[in-house]
Parts: sequence; C-alpha cells; structure tokens
Amino acid sequence: MELFRREDKMSSLITRNYNLLPVINRFGIRLGFKEKTIAEVCQEKNIDTDFFLAIVNTYTDESYFPEAEFLSFSPVLLIDYLKNTHRYYINYVLPKIEQLLNKVMESCPDNCSSLKMINTFYQKYKSELLLHLKLEDEKVFPYILNLYENKTLSPEGSFIEVIENEHTNVEVKLSDLENLIIRHLSPNYEDNAMNEFLTALLQFENDLNDHARIEDHILITKVIEFEKELKK
Amino acid sequence: MKENVFIVHRSEIIRKGLSLILQEYFKMEITQLNSAKDLSSFAGISGSIMILILEAQADLNLRAIDQLRKNNEVCLVGFYAENSDDQVDQTFDYQLNQFASPIQIQKLIQVIRQSGNKNKNPMQDNGELTSREKEVIKLIALGLANKEIADKLFISIHTVISHRKNITEKLGIKSISGLTVYAIMNNLLDIQDINPEELI
Ligand SMILES: [Fe+2]
Ligand SMILES: [Fe+2]
Repeated sequence: MELFRREDKMSSLITRNYNLLPVINRFGIRLGFKEKTIAEVCQEKNIDTDFFLAIVNTYTDESYFPEAEFLSFSPVLLIDYLKNTHRYYINYVLPKIEQLLNKVMESCPDNCSSLKMINTFYQKYKSELLLHLKLEDEKVFPYILNLYENKTLSPEGSFIEVIENEHTNVEVKLSDLENLIIRHLSPNYEDNAMNEFLTALLQFENDLNDHARIEDHILITKVIEFEKELKK
Repeated sequence: MKENVFIVHRSEIIRKGLSLILQEYFKMEITQLNSAKDLSSFAGISGSIMILILEAQADLNLRAIDQLRKNNEVCLVGFYAENSDDQVDQTFDYQLNQFASPIQIQKLIQVIRQSGNKNKNPMQDNGELTSREKEVIKLIALGLANKEIADKLFISIHTVISHRKNITEKLGIKSISGLTVYAIMNNLLDIQDINPEELI
C-alpha cells in the first residue's frame, strides 16, 4: 500500500485503512475531519505530524521502516503513545475479547471440555501478555525515560534486549491459540459467537504485531543507538 | 524458512525495476547480479527458499545453481525479452517476460511461495501424526526436556528435535502449552496427568 503523506486528506486515511481508527483515537483525533489534511489536523491537535505519519505508516505497510530523520522525534512522545495503546488493550480490547469468548463458552451444549481447555489457554496467554505490558510500563519505559533524562547508563545493565524475545513468545502463543481453534477444535459451539470471537482475536493480533513492530523497529533501535553513544 | 531472491540480468534498468516492483509488496531480500557467474559466490547459503529470476537468453551458470540446490529449495524463473509462449525452456520452473504487469509478477511470487509450502512434506502431508510423534507430544506436555525425552524413547536428541519440528509443522502449534492443550484435546493425555496451573 502507498504510504500516507502530510498533504493527504485525513478522511482518506480511514477510507484506505479502517484499522487505523483506534490508532488515530489514541492521538486524541476523532472523526468529522471535513476536508482537512493530515498536517492540518495534527497541527490543530498539537501532534508532531512526522511522528503521526511514522506511526500510521508502520501500521499500514509491513515493510515500512522509518528513515533516520523520522527517528528524530523524542522518545517521550513515542512512549506516551505506546502507553496509551497499552491502556486501550487492557481496558477495552482484552475485556471485549473475553466477553466474546464467554459467549462462545455459553453456546456450547455439552462435552465442552475441549473448549474449556481453549479457555484456560487463553487465560494463560492473557496473563502472559499482561505481564509483558506491565514489564514495559513499569520497567522498560521508565528505564528509557531515565536514560534520556540523565544521559548515563544504569549500572544494572539494559532492559532493552529482553523485549524482542518476549514479543516472539507472546506472538507464538497467540498464533497457537488461533491454530488450536481453527484447525483442531471440534466445532461444538454456536458459529456466530465463535466468528465474532475469532474476528476480534485476529484483529487484535494485527494491532499487537504492529505495536510490537513499533517498539522493536523504532523505539528499541533508537535506544540501542543511544546506549552505544553513551558507552563511548 | 528464509527466502532469498536473486535477479540476474545484464540490464540494470530491468534489475532495479523488477526489484522495486517486488519490494513494493513483499518484504524480501533481493540480490541483484549482472551475471550468473557471480552466483558461485553465494554457494554458502543453506536452508533457504531461493528464487532465482534469470535472464533467459544469457549464460545460466548451471553448476552454481546445482550447488545451491544441495542445501536449498531452488526455484528458477526465466526472464524473457519477448512475449512468446512457444519457447518453453525445461530448465525453468516458471517464466516471466519483460512486459509482465507488476500484478503478474507479484502473483508469481505468491504461487512460488505456496508451492514451496506444499512440497515441504510430500510423504506426510495428510497432517496425521505418527505414533512416535504422539509419544513425543505426550512427553513434551508432561514437561520433559529434549534430553529426557531422548533417554526415555531411546533415540538421539537430534531425532527428538526433528520430531518436534515435524509436529510443529503439521499442527501449526509451537509452544509447549499449546502442545499440551492439543494433547489433552486429542486424548493423548489425561488432564489429571498434568498440573494445568503450571504447564499451560
Ligand atoms: Fe508494548
Ligand atoms: Fe511490547
């Protein structure tokens, strides 16, 4: 897909990729753009346009990797955005997915032991994910903010390399969950309930992968470089 | 599996254009070569899917290609200057000509990728687990490490690892907890055998 530019209409952003709806919300941007361009809306809302573009383009094109000049914005901005995304996951997406899963469970007439296993697996996945978000919120992000503020390396070493690994583990669990349902679970449930649950799950997977990519490709790249500079 | 794409053509315009078209849609590593001679320097690559897009009328360096075939899945695409169906060259798995549209080119890559996936396990493609693999899953779910599984089944660690790889490919499940759920769902294991709190 073609990348978005500052002079594109904000409305075209949504018509071209409606998955960006929650993304723009996280910036405090809401619908009803009229004919305004991306740059105009950002200016109105006091948002760094380059930063906004880097984010929406990362969500739009999988191979997109922001150039060095895009990396110039402050990590504070980035972390703020990522934290907002975490809140959106914790307060909205995960409860919604769980609600939909409960409906699937309720729709199972009998012999629901396999579905119960799926439920247990989901709960484990969820707690692992929450732990990861917590690690980032409570350890990784403060570490980075501190690093930029004090410009000295912590004697305890860096937290940075752990995250990439954790991302892979969390992604593997989610894809396992999907495969268990799509390929291995006998369909002992109401179809519409399952479809709704699965759709929400798959959409969440996309959002989460993009989120992790922003962390890996933009934030971590930036921090590792900064750490190297400090070591000199 | 890692994917390597080579574009071998004397014309820089064609090399660059083709790789631009591909990169617009796929995240892939593309190496552009002026001559097939240079393929020899890549003989060290192994375990990859290699897509070679070669200028059909030029020298092909079949020796280097055979070398690559030993350790990789190689797919040859002939790139023709003219749009002609009758010059079928058996050397190539697929054909392209310079008037192909970007969509056709991108489609071709998808076709190659899909056929690559299919050919991976020609013998065991019904997805059924062998009884050995079922035993291995059971032991994984019980929390045994590769070494312990090897000792228990009197096989080498290497074999255990290859069983695990096949299991993951067949089931699409990678994590230990995912495999445990699979094992219980398919009665390879009773839920009483494990501590769900700990293992899942
Ligand atoms: Fe995060
Ligand atoms: Fe993360």
